[in-house]
Amino acid sequence: MKGILFAFLAGAFITLQGVANARISQDIGAWQAATITQLTGFIMALLIVLFVKDQKWKQFKQVRPIYLTGGSFAAVVIYGNIYGIHSIGVTLTIAVILISQLTITFMIDGKGWFGVLKKEMKLPQFIGIAMMIAGVVILKF
Amino acid sequence: MLAGLFSAVIAGLLVGLQNIFNTRVNDHAGTWSTTALVLGLGFLASMLLGLVFEGTQLFVLEHIKTWHWFSGLIGVGVVVCLVQGTKLLGPTFAISIVLTSQLGFALLWDSLGWFGLEKIPFTTQQLVGVLVIIGGVIVFKFGGSQKTDKVKKVHNQMKHAAGR
Repeated sequence: MKGILFAFLAGAFITLQGVANARISQDIGAWQAATITQLTGFIMALLIVLFVKDQKWKQFKQVRPIYLTGGSFAAVVIYGNIYGIHSIGVTLTIAVILISQLTITFMIDGKGWFGVLKKEMKLPQFIGIAMMIAGVVILKF
Repeated sequence: MLAGLFSAVIAGLLVGLQNIFNTRVNDHAGTWSTTALVLGLGFLASMLLGLVFEGTQLFVLEHIKTWHWFSGLIGVGVVVCLVQGTKLLGPTFAISIVLTSQLGFALLWDSLGWFGLEKIPFTTQQLVGVLVIIGGVIVFKFGGSQKTDKVKKVHNQMKHAAGR
């Protein structure tokens, strides 16, 4: 039950984050919103690292450098999210992001890129993506 | 509208890629160091792109309000809840609930138009659309295959939890 509550709240927070960014961008601009929210998030995470005396950042050098760069994508992600929410609404933006995200994950899994264990693409995954796209069509048209 | 759809598609592709990269970092460095790195780089990249597109205009923050400074804390809440949820439920179940809740709240937000965002009236058609998408998520996530890696991921996460 606790796990379900955590997962539920995670989803709520992700949506809230997008909406808050969209709102902030109305006041100060989209790049400004992305910069500020991530600066404050970074400071908070850094404080937590210091507080729990987490020494694991020393392991960063064991990770292939390209994987360390993932965080930088967020600039474009947040900008795209804000732009989407303003032009097509929250529901459609989130739905399209989900489909696109699951599809790329699924393709990477299928190819076994980036050190992911290669998995076979199965029928249920294709049906799932088809259903999600059908849902977006229903949503919009 | 096409530009809006396109930007959401690009955002989704990058989120998927980023999740995979971040998981690789997380395998070695644990949740909090990884989160700090990810947000720190996101901050730098946003500032750089902001400078490229807007120049020093980026630092003109006339209309900034106090609460704007605290919105980044939501991201910390996301990480805590995701990690705990995944640990307690396993990735398949956890992610299905996360995505469902995400869509549910998005629909709620559009219909209420809180925060002064444009209100999109709630219709049965929208609800049906969201339910079909959620159905698709469930079929996608629980539709067999890809068991081994998921078991391994949970195992890794438990190892991290134990090692902390």
